[in-house]
Amino acid sequence: MTKEQIMDVIKKNIVANIEDIDGATIDPAKSMKDYGANSLDMIEVVSTTMRELKIKVPRSELTDINNIEQLADKFMEYVNKDNA
Amino acid sequence: MPDKALSFSLADFFFNDSPDVLTPPSDYLSWIQHPKIRAAMQFFGQQFVTAPRSEAEVLDPDGSRRKVINMTSYNYLGLSSHPEVIQAAKEALDRYGLGASGAPLLSGTFDLHVEFARRLAEFKQKEDCLLYSSGLGGNLGAMQGLLRKGDVLIMDERCHKSLIDGGTLSGAKMLFFSHNDMKSLEAMLEKSKGKRVLVAFEGVYSMDGDLANLPEIVRLAENYKAATYIDEAHSTLMFGPNGRGVAEHFGLEEKVGVSFGTLSKSFGGVGGFVCSNAAIINYLKGYSSPWNFSCSPSPPVVAGLMKALEVATRDSTLRDKLWANTAYLKKGLLDLKLNLGGSESQVIPIIIGASGEKLMQFAGEIQRRGLFLQPVDFPAVPADARRFRISVSTQFTKELMDTALNIIEDVIARGLRD
Repeated sequence: MTKEQIMDVIKKNIVANIEDIDGATIDPAKSMKDYGANSLDMIEVVSTTMRELKIKVPRSELTDINNIEQLADKFMEYVNKDNA
Repeated sequence: MPDKALSFSLADFFFNDSPDVLTPPSDYLSWIQHPKIRAAMQFFGQQFVTAPRSEAEVLDPDGSRRKVINMTSYNYLGLSSHPEVIQAAKEALDRYGLGASGAPLLSGTFDLHVEFARRLAEFKQKEDCLLYSSGLGGNLGAMQGLLRKGDVLIMDERCHKSLIDGGTLSGAKMLFFSHNDMKSLEAMLEKSKGKRVLVAFEGVYSMDGDLANLPEIVRLAENYKAATYIDEAHSTLMFGPNGRGVAEHFGLEEKVGVSFGTLSKSFGGVGGFVCSNAAIINYLKGYSSPWNFSCSPSPPVVAGLMKALEVATRDSTLRDKLWANTAYLKKGLLDLKLNLGGSESQVIPIIIGASGEKLMQFAGEIQRRGLFLQPVDFPAVPADARRFRISVSTQFTKELMDTALNIIEDVIARGLRD
């Protein structure tokens, strides 16, 4: 799976869980908080994305992530690990 | 999973993909049975076999009783076992029996409930008060009763779960501002213009022991015409010249719309209460489910609580002792060069850092040495700030604090240096 595909899954789940947002305008350099997400919305996006990607990243490894790009990188790391 | 067990936490198993609702997630089952996790879990749910005094006894797995210095219970003012409180509860038990046997609107309202609610409202300088059987129920019920879909609940990111769950139940949009960050709060108020907004925060934050920046919160809320809600669970009977809480401490009681408190901490019993203007309290009676669909608080508990209020407010003796103990213990801990975060209260964290292994190792050693302090792990606190948390009590003696400081020095201070 490519990083672009992972990003598409994340964006789809952001649109599904955060009010008033257009997937085409999501900037990976921004955080979900910038788009009005609260911590419960972010848990929902992260959990649904991990389910779809069939990976399990400990929450304790996600606490330093500051934007959507970094989230995609972290998921990519685990997708590669599981496929290795 | 087996190698990384301590990287995972209860935050990782919320969603359950098991086809059967009554079966936990399969990875949760293997995680919870991992030896390291089982070892960590043994600290939680230990049984007390005495009152939660500062010198107490707990039950070991082999059935033997072990004496401990208890620095974990919320019995800040020692009122749970105060002789006058116990006597008042005993007398009410003889007169009213154990339970109220009804919801408050039907048959569960006793003269005791009405009198105690009146006294609490007077104490908090509000028009009226609702009594709840639990603190969680009070916060949850207030949020659920006050807010509706389309409203906005803006709260500090470190607010208690009861406020978050109440917000979820209400259907309001929830926004969390960075802890005590007034720029973050202002940005959220700006974003919520034109909506009905409630700003919720705590007087003393339960895991950090720091205070809300109340003067700024109140100023911003006024500017944006937002209502305010203070949770004084860890500050009532302790802060302020008369013990009314952090709002009194800042001289801003009349500026805060709703004042919430628990009855399980400084009061030494169990329950919660919500004080505000009489009209909204009356409205809440119809829409706050934990109030109108719960049995009323147990009469002997209410009688004990009423006595606790009287004992704690008849003079400043208990508060003075609490603050003297807090100052002594903090000085001792700071002399050991420990990180106490931004504590400004009787809640004193000892921040260990990111290592879950160290936290659990220290917990085992201090408990073996007879100091009952519980490890506080992620996700209850940030992953890089795992900690122990001391709840200071008036019952601490100097000798007891010196013994505790010795154990903390030997295990935690030395362990962090090595």
